[in-house]
Amino acid sequence: MKEIIIEISDDGEISIETKGFKGKTCIEEAKFLRDVLGTELSRKLTPAYYEQEINHKKHLQLCG
Amino acid sequence: MSHISKMELEITSLLDLKEACQRLGLTFCENQKTYKWYGTWVGDSPLPEGITTEELGKCSHAIKVPECAYEIGVVQRGSKYILLWDSWSSGGLELKIGKDAGILKQAYSVQRIKREAMLKRYRISEQKIEKGIRLVLCR
Repeated sequence: MKEIIIEISDDGEISIETKGFKGKTCIEEAKFLRDVLGTELSRKLTPAYYEQEINHKKHLQLCG
Repeated sequence: MSHISKMELEITSLLDLKEACQRLGLTFCENQKTYKWYGTWVGDSPLPEGITTEELGKCSHAIKVPECAYEIGVVQRGSKYILLWDSWSSGGLELKIGKDAGILKQAYSVQRIKREAMLKRYRISEQKIEKGIRLVLCR
């Protein structure tokens, strides 16, 4: 499942975590939050960021 | 997991600040141009960026906090809003809105995120965690 998890501490500190996204889509998906909340202080990329979406090709047998 | 960002909050939506006040039981006083504070700058903490001592006590709007002698000033700077308030204990504010107004900033962030997430048709769940609030957006 694709999720964006935001934790806001009682001190007002905000962290945004994306889960279930592969590749750069996570950065794009959370952009609207970064835009409305302020300045990004740091960003840590996780292993899934470097994974690519796999395109599955189907070969259909047309005859014989 | 894909990435984790840490953010520094900027208050840009007066509507969400008003709703944050409502959420916390505070009174947003639109166009109140002064806020109550000690009244004299004693230099015991740094001034917010871009604010001079002459500007203390003046604001664009103010926030009243129940059972507190002092108030919070909301100062407009372009498209952003700065919160000015006196944390001296006699004013009572820090006890109610947290160190560095963290509780008020938290409530504002929750309102701001929920509004934008709803526009983008996310399903939103909110839960209290040990030292804060967690929002989960999914679709």
